[in-house]
Amino acid sequence: MILWTMPDAGDKTKETYASFIALFKKENPHIPLSVRVFTRNVLWRRMFTIKNPTHEEEVPDLVQIPHYWTALLVREGVAENLSQLDPGLSLSTCLIPLKNHCYKPGTKDIYSYPWWFDVSALHYRADHLKLVTADPERDLSTWAGFLNICESLRERFKDVPGYYPVQNGDWRGSLSMRSALPCVWGRGVDLLTPDLTRTSVATKAFKEGIRDYITLALRNLMPILRERGSLGTMVSGKASLMLSRKLGLSTFDARRGIQVRTLPIPATGEGAAAYLSGMNLFINVRSQHKKEALAFIKFCARPDIQTHYAKLLEVFPAYEDALELFMLSAGRRLRVYGRILAQAKTLPNITVTGTIMEILKRILAVSATQIVEGRFTQASLDRELDQAAKEIEYLLSIYEG
Amino acid sequence: MFDKKSYTLYKFHKQLNQAFQNKRELLESALPVLRNLFKLDRIYFFDWQQERAILSLRMMCKKEYCMDKQEDISVISEPAFLKQLLREGITETTDLSYPAIYVLVKWQRPSMELKGGEVRTYMQEKVGVLRLERFKKTRGFTPQERELIKALGQEISHNLRNTEIDQAKNQRLNVSTALNALSTVFASSLRLNDGLELILQGVQKYFRFDRVRLYLTDSYARRIKEALCVDISGQVTHQTADQISPQEQGLLKEVFDSAVTYRSTRSVIYIPLKVQRSKVGFLAFDNVLSRRHIGYLDFISLQQFASQMALSIDNARLFERVQELSNYDELTHLPVRRYFNEKFAEEIYRAKRFDLTLSLMIIDIDFFKQINDSYGHQIGDWALQEVSRIIRTSLRQTDVPCRFGGDEMVIMLPSTNSEEAKIIARRLKERINAITLPTKYTGGEEIHISISQGIASFPSDAGSAEELLEKADQALYVVKKNGRGVFAVYREVADQVQGYSKE
Repeated sequence: MILWTMPDAGDKTKETYASFIALFKKENPHIPLSVRVFTRNVLWRRMFTIKNPTHEEEVPDLVQIPHYWTALLVREGVAENLSQLDPGLSLSTCLIPLKNHCYKPGTKDIYSYPWWFDVSALHYRADHLKLVTADPERDLSTWAGFLNICESLRERFKDVPGYYPVQNGDWRGSLSMRSALPCVWGRGVDLLTPDLTRTSVATKAFKEGIRDYITLALRNLMPILRERGSLGTMVSGKASLMLSRKLGLSTFDARRGIQVRTLPIPATGEGAAAYLSGMNLFINVRSQHKKEALAFIKFCARPDIQTHYAKLLEVFPAYEDALELFMLSAGRRLRVYGRILAQAKTLPNITVTGTIMEILKRILAVSATQIVEGRFTQASLDRELDQAAKEIEYLLSIYEG
Repeated sequence: MFDKKSYTLYKFHKQLNQAFQNKRELLESALPVLRNLFKLDRIYFFDWQQERAILSLRMMCKKEYCMDKQEDISVISEPAFLKQLLREGITETTDLSYPAIYVLVKWQRPSMELKGGEVRTYMQEKVGVLRLERFKKTRGFTPQERELIKALGQEISHNLRNTEIDQAKNQRLNVSTALNALSTVFASSLRLNDGLELILQGVQKYFRFDRVRLYLTDSYARRIKEALCVDISGQVTHQTADQISPQEQGLLKEVFDSAVTYRSTRSVIYIPLKVQRSKVGFLAFDNVLSRRHIGYLDFISLQQFASQMALSIDNARLFERVQELSNYDELTHLPVRRYFNEKFAEEIYRAKRFDLTLSLMIIDIDFFKQINDSYGHQIGDWALQEVSRIIRTSLRQTDVPCRFGGDEMVIMLPSTNSEEAKIIARRLKERINAITLPTKYTGGEEIHISISQGIASFPSDAGSAEELLEKADQALYVVKKNGRGVFAVYREVADQVQGYSKE
């Protein structure tokens, strides 16, 4: 059986999977399981080719996907109907915000199963912030306050070579939509209108939200297109704040003497928001090992395994009972996450969501290059977003009309 | 016999002396060999995007394994680093706290480009960078090691070139096999719609497009008359002219007027279907959902395929036109008896199988012989044409009229009982009664045309095609016997058919 996954644990992904798969194999010694790790970009492209593989291409049995890809894979006819495979399969204990992303839209047929989820937050080095504010929670509650703190930190650490107030939380070291979305949501808009028939990408509020986020790179408060690890990191003392998911936070915990605290993402407008990203598993319709794949899915959904994996990866369990256990056993940071979860939002489970994210990702990649080359203008970004809105409307008319 | 450097190179060459499917597979073999050879803690491979001055991290090798990676690093502010790397092919990094060395890897791969509508093939230079790392400050790279690393980088360059050439060859082979299979399917099908669905599904499957659309023009190539579309679900949908949006209609002119059919986004291509000067339609391929680029190889292959497809569509259309001519009466433009009989037999079979009703109507133009005799055959033909025109324009899409012979016409009304048939008969009677012969031929006299109609229904009046025809004819006989100009349903006049003979 072959499982395709993403590098969730960064450079330690292989080791993390090795220990997790060993647990599964201990209970299911008769099921052989190999793991292939692909970046999200590669996986996205492969989702469009696994339906018709060439003779030299490998066919996976199980695939890890961002939860909002489910509708696309159902539409494509790539995902197996899990309700049909096992009529007893239930999502009764699955967290409510994750449920809709498991179904074929408009039905209660399960096509993907939740594995884990994460949510974005603001992390800061307590020792650094102490130097510029007595009340980080108050000063970091708004985006304007956050920018002011960044400026103060820069001034305070001006003698530290390679220092940036904000560490780039994006894996690619670029501008990321996942980090930009809370800024957009904070401005009171979403990617799409509530009925999911039109896009809001060309609206003033959406553009302002993107601008809020890009300001970090424009004002040189956060490094972009610079190698992660070589400069601007909280661990090395060359950064003090980071907007990111929970995943990977243990790097700080491992360093003695560094106290990292967590707060909700500063509000860009009336309300604060956090980005909730879910990870699901689906079974390939072409799989010859569907029963075994289902056994792995059920194994991953078990409360004890959920809690174990969440700790291993530093993410959250996707089921109520496991999440309760996880939160109760946790410290101060997880209690803050209780607040953050209450304001978390996610992307809709429709066919074109993945494509919309690809379009916006490309715009941010272009902006990142322009910023580095010193030729970025707000007008060109606005034009790109207007053009993107037209493309999205066209996609909606084809696939969601 | 060998010095150490030559021996290491030989060993490295031997380990990589095999065919790789792609660059990724090659790197997955080469990077661990380098890691072991130089006792490295980590090794990276980057693609150098020269136009953006960005190093894009693609793969990392650590311990016993390799892993895909994705990270973009701008090198725009580091001209000294770049200059040295380009000049010497090797340089040491200064921004890391441990020893690391960059090695330039250059290779060529077969590429194509479109210039002024012409396809040009050429070898494109690609540049990659290897970064070799040792985490201990004290374990720097010696000059001998640097020299050897540079030589091994060249060996990897050589392997990359061979792999890319093999990959391009395999890709071309796959494409030509696919096109050959598709052409065979299409060439063997004379009926247009039989082949088109299979072809579209085949093109989507082999080329793995998100969506393939085929737009077919009308016979004057002025507008799109129908479209077929297969999307990511693999299902084919049909659109008739009235379902095609004005924007799509607008594409027709754009595709045929513009030389550029390869869109700048490289996710959509349009390919016109032309045979000599006739415009058959056009194909649209897109990856707008997945945002994958469509390669030049796909574009060129599809262009070749499109010319075969256009010819096949043109042939199939010609075949259909010939069929149409042999199925339709030249004077009245109504189907001929042979065609009608085929359809009639099919409908009777369907009605029996699914318990449906069906009515049959026989029409006779009243006093047609006198019209011919009094005003000439030209007026007789005109009367036939006018009556046929009214029949053609007064029926539903599912009804099948036919010129049965002389001035006799038959209409098959599927899923219609006798009461519904009467409504149609009444409508025809009223509209045909409104026709007057041209007064210049009648000496100014206003002469109206009238018709007699006999109706029989399945299954109430008859249980077979022949019987139904006979019963409708008997009903017509009664109408004619009683003075013409009206219609009658067999069941209602069955008691009056005495004296009827088939002749």
